[in-house]
Amino acid sequence: MAIQSRRIFLFGALATASTFAVARPSRAAAPDAIGIDYAYYNPPSLVLKQSGWLEDALKPSGAQVQWVLSLGSNKANGFLAANAVQFGSTAGSAALLARTNGTPIRTVFLYSQPEWTALVIAKDAPYKSVVELRGKKIAATKGTDPYFFLLRALRDAKLEQSDVEILNVQHPDGRVALERGDVDAWAGLDPHMAASELDAGSRLLYRNVAYNTYGALNVREDFLNDHPDTVQTVLRAYARAHSFAAHNVDATAKIVAAASNLELRVADRQLKLRTTYPDPTPGAAYHEALAGVVPIVRENGLAMPGTDIEGALASLADPEPARAALHA
Amino acid sequence: MPLLLLAAWWYATAFGGIKVYQLASPAEVLRELGSLATSGELWKNLVASIVRVAFGFAIALVLAVGIGTSVGLSPPIERIVDPTLQALRAIPSLAWVPLLLLWLGIGETAKIVLIAIGAFFPIYVNLVAGIRGVDRKLVEVAEIFGIRGFALARRVVIPAALPSLLVGARIGLTQAWLFLVAAELLGASRGLGFLLTEGQQISRTDEILTAILLLAICGKVSESAMRGIERRMLYWTDGMSS
Amino acid sequence: MFEEFSLVVAPGETLAILGPSGCGKSTLLRAIGRLIIPQSGGVETSSEIGIVFQEPRLLPWLSVEKNVAFAARGEVERARVKDAIDLVGLTHAAHLLPKALSGGMAQRTSLARSLIRSPQLLLLDEPLSALDALTRLDLQVAIARIIRETASTAILVTHDIDEALFLADRIIVLEGAPASVATILEVPPAARRVRSADLTPERNALYAALGVDTPPIASDNRTTRLFRIR
Repeated sequence: MAIQSRRIFLFGALATASTFAVARPSRAAAPDAIGIDYAYYNPPSLVLKQSGWLEDALKPSGAQVQWVLSLGSNKANGFLAANAVQFGSTAGSAALLARTNGTPIRTVFLYSQPEWTALVIAKDAPYKSVVELRGKKIAATKGTDPYFFLLRALRDAKLEQSDVEILNVQHPDGRVALERGDVDAWAGLDPHMAASELDAGSRLLYRNVAYNTYGALNVREDFLNDHPDTVQTVLRAYARAHSFAAHNVDATAKIVAAASNLELRVADRQLKLRTTYPDPTPGAAYHEALAGVVPIVRENGLAMPGTDIEGALASLADPEPARAALHA
Repeated sequence: MPLLLLAAWWYATAFGGIKVYQLASPAEVLRELGSLATSGELWKNLVASIVRVAFGFAIALVLAVGIGTSVGLSPPIERIVDPTLQALRAIPSLAWVPLLLLWLGIGETAKIVLIAIGAFFPIYVNLVAGIRGVDRKLVEVAEIFGIRGFALARRVVIPAALPSLLVGARIGLTQAWLFLVAAELLGASRGLGFLLTEGQQISRTDEILTAILLLAICGKVSESAMRGIERRMLYWTDGMSS
Repeated sequence: MFEEFSLVVAPGETLAILGPSGCGKSTLLRAIGRLIIPQSGGVETSSEIGIVFQEPRLLPWLSVEKNVAFAARGEVERARVKDAIDLVGLTHAAHLLPKALSGGMAQRTSLARSLIRSPQLLLLDEPLSALDALTRLDLQVAIARIIRETASTAILVTHDIDEALFLADRIIVLEGAPASVATILEVPPAARRVRSADLTPERNALYAALGVDTPPIASDNRTTRLFRIR
């Protein structure tokens, strides 16, 4: 084989081999280390990371905590698939797609109910409705809530994916692309979206609260089965952070601003305007929100052939751990 | 060797406990390949990537030959230009991405520039080495016959440096494909690297592996083509492979 | 490097410069060929000079014919290419690449190339040293013929006594460093056409001048036969 093809093949092989090489919590006894992610779109995670509550709660069992930054649901799903983290925060829709395509995760906690995505256009863009985006360039991160949001918005405007050109960029880069004029619209995500509104005067072309699918904390199924007690401990710590975020908006905003290196007013906008913290136990409302995503996945061929979306939907959420943790 | 790997792959996914979200099976990859082919997506992505590599490589070739011959033939130019280029050469592909993102955004230009950067250095380095390594005795003979300057470069130095140039071009082409994948991280909507990233983002390992497979094939095909060109142009060399 | 001396070469004459390694005979030749500039003194020669080096120095991507044509400027000289190739006996090898040539053939090509510009003076810097003994004998005969047929004036640098005796009208022996002229020997023309064995006095004189013991002559027929002019 040529060096090139050999190299690429080896890379692929190494990437998959690394799934076995990565720190795996030991099976029987309590784990030595837990991988958990934090993200700018998950304010409770930032509170939890800064406060040290999780480390405190795990001290008796001696488990180490490894924090990993997720720049988007797609990244978090990638980490979960590779078992680089055992707890990953994604949007509900992204979790559904990942599970459909085989990633063994369960949603055990809803860390927020945000309206964190919308279609964003530049300050002086002429568009008044989504249908005017026909033939235009739109930046979006595949596999994340903004991406699903975009697809649903297009569908509502009777446009196909092929009627626009979707450029695949990570969330922060999508914002830059919009502000530079490289794209005509952006499927935005807070806090970057809020920052763009405040700093560059970008406007939200299309909003739809119902198309936002909750912030979901997912755990690896094998970890849940092997270490239910540890999961309980983590969820109790998470509930503490969740409650703090719900009742201390200003303080949380400061934490988010510091962590993401964005201005305080950006974090304020994200949290005060567009984030709420209902009961974190995944229930009927979560299920309903995700049911709306199923046709989108199907129509756009996002699921691997032969997979069962409905089955994935039915089995994605597991309310038991949260119930036990919150009412123990 | 490829057959052995193929067998191992099939075995691992069928019996070895490898789940689909870690590694898709050969059957699934083939099916994805088929579905891409029938929907026309295969062609669209393939062409997008091939065009980027072609343009990037062509630009790199022209620049490398131009700058390389100047540097190789003129010591003052070498003193000015070479150290800077050697420093730039050390920058890895992914380090260029944020810089180009900043300066050129996410359009085709940025991608082609990145590919050109990747292809440029092997061609340049090998050409300069080839020129420096030209047999002085040949140059002396030409000078005795009164051939100097530009005619000397054209009739003696460049042909003598051709083997090095072609080796550099072959390596440069391989680099171009590698840099293509990095380039298509810059907000692509089409291409093999795009398929790779998309597959990773929506957790479809069949798409990931299809993209890898196609990249490997493209790399191999272009390498073979280069070797064919080398054989034809270097009919006169007396090395071990001739 | 050289002790002072002056040298005059008559037209049509073949002069051999003989001497041990490192005595500066190549340097002298290069000075004559204007490849290097002497620190003092001067070189007065005619304009067109052809040089043949110890290595053939052919451009490896050009055929024999194209290599010879490399020296040609203009139509007149290009028309001479075929004749030059015939002259050196490479007519049937004209299309070959240097990688396919034997040492002898390569040197013949180099020789043909040096003749394209009709040089008044031909400089040969140990042209046969890199060749095996038999090829050397072959080429010596060829060079003799070519010099005769082109009526060239030639200066040959060599360390081979028999070669000098065979090809030259006059032999200059250099010795030591700084080089100085030890002997100048006239080789009678008739004498050059006989077996080397019959030039014993001259051979002995040359060896004496070089300060080396005279080796015995290989007296078999093979040597004799090769020394006859074809």
